[in-house]
Amino acid sequence: MDLLISLVINGLATGMLIFLLAAGLTLIFGLMDVLNFAHGGLFVWGAYTGVFTYAYTESFLIGIVVAILTGILFGFIMEKLIITPVYGNHVQQILITLGFMLVLQEMIKVAFGPNAIPVSVPTYLAGSWEIGEVIVIKYRVFIIIVGFIIFGIFHYILTRTKIGLIVRAGVMNKEMVQALGINIKRVFLFVFMTGASLAALGGMLMAPYSGSIYAEMGMEFAILGFIVVVIGGMGSFSGSLLAAILVGLAGSFMAYYVPFLSLAVNMILMAIVLIFRPQGLFSMIRREST
Amino acid sequence: MNQPALLSKQNIIFVLLLVILVAFPFVADSRTLTILLTQIFIFGILAMSYDILLGYTGIVSFGHAMFFGMGAYTTAIMLKEIQPTIPVFIGSIVVGMILAGILSFFVGLLTLRLKSHFFAMLTLAISGLLLVVAEKWRSVTKGNDGFTFRAPDVFKDRIVFYFCVLACLVIVFLLLRRFVNSPLGRVLIAVRENEQRTRSLGFKTLHYKVISSIVAGVIASLAGSLYAISLRFVNTSMMTMDITLDALLMTIIGGVGTLVGPLVGSVVIEFAQHYLSGLARNYPIFERWIIFFGIIYILAVVFFPKGIVGSILAKVSKWKQQDQVPLPEPKERLK
Repeated sequence: MDLLISLVINGLATGMLIFLLAAGLTLIFGLMDVLNFAHGGLFVWGAYTGVFTYAYTESFLIGIVVAILTGILFGFIMEKLIITPVYGNHVQQILITLGFMLVLQEMIKVAFGPNAIPVSVPTYLAGSWEIGEVIVIKYRVFIIIVGFIIFGIFHYILTRTKIGLIVRAGVMNKEMVQALGINIKRVFLFVFMTGASLAALGGMLMAPYSGSIYAEMGMEFAILGFIVVVIGGMGSFSGSLLAAILVGLAGSFMAYYVPFLSLAVNMILMAIVLIFRPQGLFSMIRREST
Repeated sequence: MNQPALLSKQNIIFVLLLVILVAFPFVADSRTLTILLTQIFIFGILAMSYDILLGYTGIVSFGHAMFFGMGAYTTAIMLKEIQPTIPVFIGSIVVGMILAGILSFFVGLLTLRLKSHFFAMLTLAISGLLLVVAEKWRSVTKGNDGFTFRAPDVFKDRIVFYFCVLACLVIVFLLLRRFVNSPLGRVLIAVRENEQRTRSLGFKTLHYKVISSIVAGVIASLAGSLYAISLRFVNTSMMTMDITLDALLMTIIGGVGTLVGPLVGSVVIEFAQHYLSGLARNYPIFERWIIFFGIIYILAVVFFPKGIVGSILAKVSKWKQQDQVPLPEPKERLK
């Protein structure tokens, strides 16, 4: 029983981190029809700037704020510089965002050095609780709580506010939204920056969880993010949460029971979803099948 | 394009280049340059195979390195386990090609029915999965440490190997040129230009896309086999994203959809890589030369999408049009 609980907590914590990455990806794809292969780069940049600020100021909170600001800044630059010129051309989008990913990853090595950097958990989040036989690591609970809070906030914004209404309408039919007199380009920029800041936040939260950060982790997590987006359905915000939890749990259980399959299980999940339900489990977009 | 005559200008240039390359080792006795040229030929083969996918069929695959790695490992394992002789080497190339063909058939069947985004993502995921399998399956692949093996004795002489690779390059180039100019290749170009219309003309586009991915995978496996011999060493880095990116970069910078373009791209990139990593001894920033490539690549995608060869071809055809009698203005034709 205690094993089960700690595996579930592990899975949920990983799932939340992937969710932060995937939420941006899925909204950007749903709204702008852009699959951002450089999203993992934003994740790493958030982690590095956040961790360096955290080490310098010794305040985890400031680190998080700096990470989010980095995400917003990079999101702005990327949207203006990288995404806008190739808008509407899928092949070019894939190629250019991947190129930018490469640049971001190498820039990390130039700016912060190529070696992995150890990160410690802030003292007030370190340690664990013992509830009966079960040992619950505090930081993991913290990640889960933050994940649910973020989900709650964005769910509220998406379903209860005007901007959320515009975004949801844009995901369904952006031409119609534009025809109703809304500057869709500005909405694009807003959503892109939000997605980028979520990815950067995910990177920062990830750093103490895994204990060290390195430049290549962006790509590793981005692949998980893609898998989640495919399973959850492009453009579906709540779908990406459920899929992220599914992937996180599958990963943590497999890592314990069948270690060899721990990465394969995600690919298999994705392959099954793609073959039988290519639009994803919770897709909001009705797209013509090819 | 009309049927190219045997003695067209293009072919004469190719033959001249070939003569220069054949004569090269006898004229210049430079070991470094011979090795570099061998490397260029190998990556030229890889980039040409990628061009079949990207340039002729219009699909972006991020999993091309898995076929390359498959060829490299097949050759390395067979030479190590059986014996390092020429027949085994040729056999290993064939086995590698067959394995890569089977793999690309199944991967293609699974993924090619999806749209471009999903396809790119799924190939990325599958090659990531295969990389993990290769790292974990240490009894065969020795993981990231890799292993060395003995190449056939003939290849001890760098120049013999140079000619062997050059021959492969020429054969692959001629075969692929025949392939893209065949009716089959024309259908692939039609898929690139407008898949829906091709389908409504009665072509089963999925079949053609799978064929294209098999051809690309098989050729990539050949490049991998040759690469393994040139290093006499394999490890899992041959299946990483870097190899795919190299092929992608060469194809884009050289010019997509031209077959000659990827070769030019491979010359440019390999020389630049060689030169820049030489500079790194004095200027540490050049150790991260990938940044420069990344930036050049982004700029190329935005401002220079035809690549070097594509742009030259566009210029040439413009000149030719000027030489001809000017066509009537579009408006007049409408009347």
